[in-house]
Amino acid sequence: MKKIVASLLLVVMMVALLSACAPAAKKTNSAFAVPAGGYDGSAVTISFYNTMGSNLTPVLDTYIAEFNKLYPNITIEYTSVGGYDDVREQIATEITVGNQPNLAYCYPDHVALYNLAGAVATLDNLIDSKIEVKHADGTTEILGLTAEQKADFIEGYYNEGKQFGDGLMYTMPLSKSTEVLYYNKTFFEANNIAVPTTWDELEAVCAKIKELDPKSIPLGYDSESNWFITMCEQQGSAYTSATGDHFLFDNAENRAFVKKFNEWYQKGYLTTQNIYGAYTSGLFVSTTGTRSYMSIGSSAGATHQRPSAGADGKYPFDVGIATIPQLNADKPKVISQGPSLCIFAKENPQEVVASWLFVKFLTTNVGFQAEFSMASGYVPVIKSVNDNEAYASFIASADGGNYISALSAKVCLEQEHAYYTSPAFNGSSTARDEVGALMTKCLLFKGDDVDAQIATAFQDAIDECEYSN
Amino acid sequence: MVDSKQQWKAWLYLAPAIVLLLIFTVWPIINTVRMSLLENYKSLEAVRGATFQFGFGNFQKVLEYKRFVQCLKTTTLLCVLTVPISTILALLIAVALNSIKFLQKGLQTIFFLPYVTNSIAIGMVFAAMFNIVGLRNGLNGETIADTWGIINNVIMFFGAEPINWINYGSSYAANIAVMTVYIVWNALPFKILILLGGLQSINKQYYEAARVDGTPRRRVFSKITVPLLSPMLAYVVITGFIGGFKEYTSIVGVFGDTMGPAGDKGRLNTMVGFIYDALESNNQGRASAGALILFGIILVVTLINGYVSKKKVHY
Amino acid sequence: MANRIMQEHDMRIVSARQRIIKGGVKFFTYAFLIFIAIVVLFPFYWMVISSLKTIEEYRLNIPTFFPKKIMFSNYLRAFTTANLGRLFVNTMIVGVASTLLSLVITVLSAFAFARLEFKGRDMMFALLLATMMIPGELFTITNYATVTQLGWMNTYKVLIIPFLVSVFYIYLLRQNFLQIPNELYLAAKVDGTSDIKYLWRVMVPLSLPTLISITILKMMGAWNSYIWPRLVANDEAHRLITNGLRNAFTQASGDVDYPLQMAAVAIVSIPLFLVFIFLRKYIMAGVSRSGIKG
Repeated sequence: MKKIVASLLLVVMMVALLSACAPAAKKTNSAFAVPAGGYDGSAVTISFYNTMGSNLTPVLDTYIAEFNKLYPNITIEYTSVGGYDDVREQIATEITVGNQPNLAYCYPDHVALYNLAGAVATLDNLIDSKIEVKHADGTTEILGLTAEQKADFIEGYYNEGKQFGDGLMYTMPLSKSTEVLYYNKTFFEANNIAVPTTWDELEAVCAKIKELDPKSIPLGYDSESNWFITMCEQQGSAYTSATGDHFLFDNAENRAFVKKFNEWYQKGYLTTQNIYGAYTSGLFVSTTGTRSYMSIGSSAGATHQRPSAGADGKYPFDVGIATIPQLNADKPKVISQGPSLCIFAKENPQEVVASWLFVKFLTTNVGFQAEFSMASGYVPVIKSVNDNEAYASFIASADGGNYISALSAKVCLEQEHAYYTSPAFNGSSTARDEVGALMTKCLLFKGDDVDAQIATAFQDAIDECEYSN
Repeated sequence: MVDSKQQWKAWLYLAPAIVLLLIFTVWPIINTVRMSLLENYKSLEAVRGATFQFGFGNFQKVLEYKRFVQCLKTTTLLCVLTVPISTILALLIAVALNSIKFLQKGLQTIFFLPYVTNSIAIGMVFAAMFNIVGLRNGLNGETIADTWGIINNVIMFFGAEPINWINYGSSYAANIAVMTVYIVWNALPFKILILLGGLQSINKQYYEAARVDGTPRRRVFSKITVPLLSPMLAYVVITGFIGGFKEYTSIVGVFGDTMGPAGDKGRLNTMVGFIYDALESNNQGRASAGALILFGIILVVTLINGYVSKKKVHY
Repeated sequence: MANRIMQEHDMRIVSARQRIIKGGVKFFTYAFLIFIAIVVLFPFYWMVISSLKTIEEYRLNIPTFFPKKIMFSNYLRAFTTANLGRLFVNTMIVGVASTLLSLVITVLSAFAFARLEFKGRDMMFALLLATMMIPGELFTITNYATVTQLGWMNTYKVLIIPFLVSVFYIYLLRQNFLQIPNELYLAAKVDGTSDIKYLWRVMVPLSLPTLISITILKMMGAWNSYIWPRLVANDEAHRLITNGLRNAFTQASGDVDYPLQMAAVAIVSIPLFLVFIFLRKYIMAGVSRSGIKG
């Protein structure tokens, strides 16, 4: 026994020693400094982590070849790591020993995590750089973005890169999706119902549908988290902040909308994915028994919102797609989702510059943006893609049946001014999970003390967020 | 009789194992202890050169967690339920298998199947079997659903009321019941294998003698089979408890990352789940402290198990 | 006389009753086993039919018990989207190499613990067992730093060496060795047989079933490992099978293609299942011996 105690003490002492002589602070980048000559043409290899499946890598291959015509000395090696969470975990571990890739698919909260180590290169100096870089064929381009290129980005998508509380740009949008309202067009037209543009109108439509089909659940909303966050954004109430006190969502305005939706739920107007126990698209595409006539879900999942065709190849009903309901239809707000790209700081600034050239190529190249969007169901991040012939004819084919993906993309493009993104910090994904769970929980409350139950649930969610941070 | 030649020989034979263990097991453990004693240690911040206070803050933080007791309770409850159930069931199956000839090998192979599958994937299958789709109140206040799930279909076939197992508004007891079924299902093959192996190595003479004496079946079971199997039983119980306290992936399989039914996130969180949550937000310090606390708990349980089995096990 | 006949009659009744009881017991035994077998098999049935469904059918609210349209192509897709041949070769290399090395280390260590007397033996064995109780997830970051410093990234080494020593296997084999009478060892000593020769000639053959069990568990480990290989060797030349198949699951939209995932899980499970069927006898024998404490 004495021996064990003695050896334990020894371990503790060793540990104390180890921690006492922690290495002196070696501060990494604050802002990336562009080397004087920009890209010097040297041979660099860029590793790129993504989550692309086998349907997207051919598109990437094609455009890597295009890129290499301009910059033959930059080799792009990409790896499909799995899902978004896999990318995050892998890179977070790799950063601890300095093994991170040059470039990766990212969501804002991933970047906030990597930034605990100061590992992500800021892009502002690169974007603003006027240095001319040479292509292999002798032509040149400026390293940064031209004014036209900047203006070509859909503003909401572009601004996502600056959501980190310090005003600096950390990411570039690659391809995006959002939430849209799918509705049963055939049913709406037959009963002369107007597509709701505001929540008030939606309430009236739900009441009307309930009268027409008492067995139905008029609306299915897939993502509780998105719903909560979007409501905060639409009514301008606090959700989170990237700086200072992070978790601000426990306030009277938010409790009020939760209360309102609780009443709707109790009237049988709606359901969500977690309450329903499956994707609500299943309810929407069903043609027998209980069904829904509206579904709010990802714009990238349009094909799941289409009922299966009958033996004659015809769809039992036509699907319409619209912007989700708003509080103020003049100032719409819809969430922006989908991968962005971040560049990691490296000892050799040429690697960062080369990565940037590739990021710039992917995000501003009309051909890539068009082909990638058509293959993935996501929407492009630059407006000029609309002028691309293939993409224009894709959009022109939009309908509620065979070309439902095009219809979804079309709606997304039309609401380009409405995209918002939430603040990103280490813990922002916890907040997102917690408000989703909170929303789900609150819809079920009934009885006399709903307000008190809601208040407790909000407090619990805040506590969880604060704890995990 | 410790002679010096045996001494160095022993160390020589152990050398490869010891070297590898020092590098890949002992060093990580020491590092875990170190991280647990550095307050709010985050490995990513350490990369940037941040320094951390030495202290017991991480342990305090773990114990302070509002739902820590809940995690502990779920973990313990699952252990206390699944270890005896799976052990007894495995014993019955092993004895039954041992007593038959026809189909023995085929059945044995079937019972081993769960051992070679991915627990998250099969967890999803279990979730699908218990899942109710579209549970809600009907027009007259009655409870209706689009799909009750295969398990409830069977229950309703026998005229009983369906149960909300894992969905929105389900009870903690129902959740635990599902997890118990799944964990037992998962634990059976290994236990059957060990116990059946044990049974087959019991000297047949004991049974012959019992048969000659006309000893009733039940007495043979309790006086011969169980005592002679007791080392194996002790073994499956001890490893069962060690595994049980590390329960995590099975719950992710059934309930997903939320570790609870819709509307009650984290209700079924366990100790290892807590450690994962802390790792997710890069709180290695807190995760390490949680792991050491878990280690302490498992150690105590194992010591108790060892003490009990010393008293009860016949060698 | 009459009495005697009565007795015989009674005995005949008794034996008839015994036969009925015996038959009843047999019936219940089979009923019980078959019921459990159905319970055990059901999730597999579900996995297989799910793997044969279209994603639309899989997402139906009311699940179908038999796929309306059988999609064998799911298996083909799960198979071809990953470079399966390469994955298979990689997995075999890692599996075979790590099994062989692991066996050598385990045999030597188990021998030392079972047969040799040295200071601190029991204490050390207890400490080894204690390491089994720590959740392994915590080791990942530290081990990752170690292998990086050793420069082992994207090599076979990094997949093989860190997990060569398994305390569990040492424990299993030690239990097995303990049952071999010490007299054999002492006799061998007197004859002047070297330890290694003795190990190879006597101990190894006598504990073959346990060694086979370890081999199978180790191969299964190589087959199923996921998190560590993805982290340290995720290049084309070293990627293992589970990692390769995982890539097939995620669609462009980030949704998981569950039928494809189920197909992949089935593909990954089949070889292990076959191994069990063919080597069942050895596995059983190995386990039965090691379970007994010496």
